[in-house]
Amino acid sequence: MPDKVSPIEALPAASRAFGELRAVSAEPRWAMVVDLERCIGCWSCCVICKSENNVPLGMWWNRINTVGAALDTPREEHGGLAMHWMPLACQHCENPACTKVCPVKATYSREDGLVVQDDERCIGCRYCLVACPYGVRVFNWGRPEYPVPFPMGMVEPRPVGTMEKCTFCIHRLSEGQVPSCIWSCPAQARVFGDLNHPDSEVNRLIRERAAFQLLEERGTDPQVFYLPPRRKRGWER
Amino acid sequence: MRQSHARLIWVSLISAGFLAGLGAWIYQLTQGLIVSNMRNPVMWGLYITFFMFFVGLSAGGLIVASAGRLFGGHRLKPIVRLAVVEATVAVMLAALFLVPDLGRPDRLWHLFRYPHWTSPLMWDIAIVIIYLIISLLYVWVYTRADHAQLGSRLAFGTGTSEADSRRDERMKAVLAGVGLPAAVLLHSITAWIFGLQLSRGFWYTAIMAPLFISSALVSGTGLMILLSLVARRVKKITFSDELLGFLGKLLVTFIVVEAFLVFSDMLTAAYPGAEFEAGPMARLLSGRYAPFFWFEIGAGLLIPFVILVGGRRRFRPPWAAAAAALAVVGIWVHRFNLVLNGLSYATITEPPGVAIGTAPAPGTTSFALTQFYYPSWVEWIVALGLLCLGALLFTAAVVKLPLKEKASQHA
Repeated sequence: MPDKVSPIEALPAASRAFGELRAVSAEPRWAMVVDLERCIGCWSCCVICKSENNVPLGMWWNRINTVGAALDTPREEHGGLAMHWMPLACQHCENPACTKVCPVKATYSREDGLVVQDDERCIGCRYCLVACPYGVRVFNWGRPEYPVPFPMGMVEPRPVGTMEKCTFCIHRLSEGQVPSCIWSCPAQARVFGDLNHPDSEVNRLIRERAAFQLLEERGTDPQVFYLPPRRKRGWER
Repeated sequence: MRQSHARLIWVSLISAGFLAGLGAWIYQLTQGLIVSNMRNPVMWGLYITFFMFFVGLSAGGLIVASAGRLFGGHRLKPIVRLAVVEATVAVMLAALFLVPDLGRPDRLWHLFRYPHWTSPLMWDIAIVIIYLIISLLYVWVYTRADHAQLGSRLAFGTGTSEADSRRDERMKAVLAGVGLPAAVLLHSITAWIFGLQLSRGFWYTAIMAPLFISSALVSGTGLMILLSLVARRVKKITFSDELLGFLGKLLVTFIVVEAFLVFSDMLTAAYPGAEFEAGPMARLLSGRYAPFFWFEIGAGLLIPFVILVGGRRRFRPPWAAAAAALAVVGIWVHRFNLVLNGLSYATITEPPGVAIGTAPAPGTTSFALTQFYYPSWVEWIVALGLLCLGALLFTAAVVKLPLKEKASQHA
């Protein structure tokens, strides 16, 4: 797990209040809701993820897929055109394919539902990368390279030859703050919260908006929920 | 002496190859796996292919030794010692091929310190170790009497009495009983590394374990034919062409089973037409990996079948050797197809795909839905080095161990 270097206490009070976790129970079970109607495919969450987590060049913990066959291109649907994006990071599954196959238990589920990666134990066999159906894990193939000549971000860089992935900004959760992709979303398409708290925003949205999980049929039971867009048609032909 | 001269040249060549491979591996250690052509879209490649391939080759040995004994194939006796040596070297190589595939080989000991038993990889490491022990015991039991006769320390204080040879026979029977299930387990577990992955439609099939056993039998028997012919040529063992014909008959039987399983697997995947399984299948039949697939079917199964199926050709060394070599190479290509086609099909097919994992050149993307994997020169040289190490071990065993069966021992 990356060590925290993040000076959250140094943030102005208004920033801290904006990113505060609300409606948290005594034993939280973290979940994320992504509203596909709101996502505008701007990649802000991906970019802030890279700088927050010190993710080297060529590696992404978070990406924006375009629904359809071509990047940032509308698709034809029932005689009209539609365009939606599907932000994709670690799904923090209840029944993860990756933790089962790890030969040294370097990746495992925590009590609060987070799937974490221990880069001190990882032997770099990449079996978890084979097993993950979402393609969200990334391997340190060589020495990390950054756009500037030094590592940057709120967590320590990971060693070469090990695996890394989205942590739900574990270093921010411990400070009572939402992951960085949540507060940075200009369309407010992402919501983060506690599934164990009956009044949490994530529970309300999952209930009211017929949320679905990605590759539901594989039985991985992700703790990332997607809200289908209610407006089906985007543009006239 | 001509033969010792030839042996010197051979040993120098393979030693040089081994040193080159060692150098390439050290280079890989300093740079990371970035010097391979594996990336996040296709994260396993040549090393894993060779790992599967050598697991398969180790079958030949133990199955020839055990099945011969359990089902009364006494014809195989002249090559049994060679077979168990081959099994031992092959399973060692399989284990060694996992090492360069690791991003952190310096943490190899974590496998023993923090074993996680839900991982098929951990099951495989356990069975490889068990199998290695069985193979070593096999080699010892089959050569023990000769060591004792020569007064070698390898006899471990055992003698040449009647009681000693009776104990040998008992041990051989026990080992055959343990060795055959161990061999079956070894191939099944290796298959399950792949076959239990729901994320990879091309792999997720219950036929994977039987398919691995059949391809292990094809490649293992093929290699046994080749090695027996070489060992007979250098006068380490003697056997008749009748035995060669018998091995050819075994090989052609295994080829038919392999072809049937491959066909059954592909039909099941293709028939429903669901993208998850039929996509990789269509690409195998007509996409960019198609030449590999058609080589596997044509050169690896069809031609050896035609050579071996009828007439007297399988009794003639050149024909038998050609068929065996094609079958062995064909199974290697089959393994390569299996790895690449299982992995290179994107699990989420929406663009832009997964992060490649290394800094992209300016103006290029850092994402890819898939990747056309071909091994880098570092991977080839590391693999060559390990192949040469295997050849060295095998040559040393053939030179040092008494492989010739003495007629008097089988009264």
